[in-house]
Amino acid sequence: MAETRPAAALRARPAAAVPACLLAWLLPGAGHLFLRRTGKGLLFLGAIGALFAMGVAMDARLQMYIGFDDPLAFLRSLAQMALGAPYFAARALGFDAGLVTSVTHEYGNTFTEVGGLLNILVILDAFDIAMGRKP
Amino acid sequence: MRASHLLYLIVFSALVSAVFATLLRDDLRARVRFALGAFGAFVLAAIAVGWLMYPFPG
Repeated sequence: MAETRPAAALRARPAAAVPACLLAWLLPGAGHLFLRRTGKGLLFLGAIGALFAMGVAMDARLQMYIGFDDPLAFLRSLAQMALGAPYFAARALGFDAGLVTSVTHEYGNTFTEVGGLLNILVILDAFDIAMGRKP
Repeated sequence: MRASHLLYLIVFSALVSAVFATLLRDDLRARVRFALGAFGAFVLAAIAVGWLMYPFPG
């Protein structure tokens, strides 16, 4: 049976919205785990984590680019940063340069960037759940 | 990792479809249906675009 909006609103936890969003950014799926949406949280963790791990294994470039002289590089860097702790951990472990001559380099870039963009949607979903807009 | 365009396409499509289905549908049956549809659309669209580009020189 479809859930009615008032029933979802009854479970709204506005105070949990900020920590849920922060956790969701730090680790994909962690915001949903915090909000007790275990199934969704584990799926996001597995799928987005796999996209990122495979992207790094495919020699993706993770270097941070801040500035507007190359807007596309800035946007792709922002997308990767949306992955949170895994991105910064991979950089700290020395995976930031990637390997531009690798045949899978562009695949790796795409996997890591799309993983970050998906995590932005996951953060927004965690916010909606905390505000009682979604079950 | 051994390079295979088709394998990367299939893995990418499966993971992205699973995330979209979980975000956009609320019950399991609708999620599975949405994920299968999105996965098929990703793979078929990529193959179709690949064939359309075939006559053009690199």
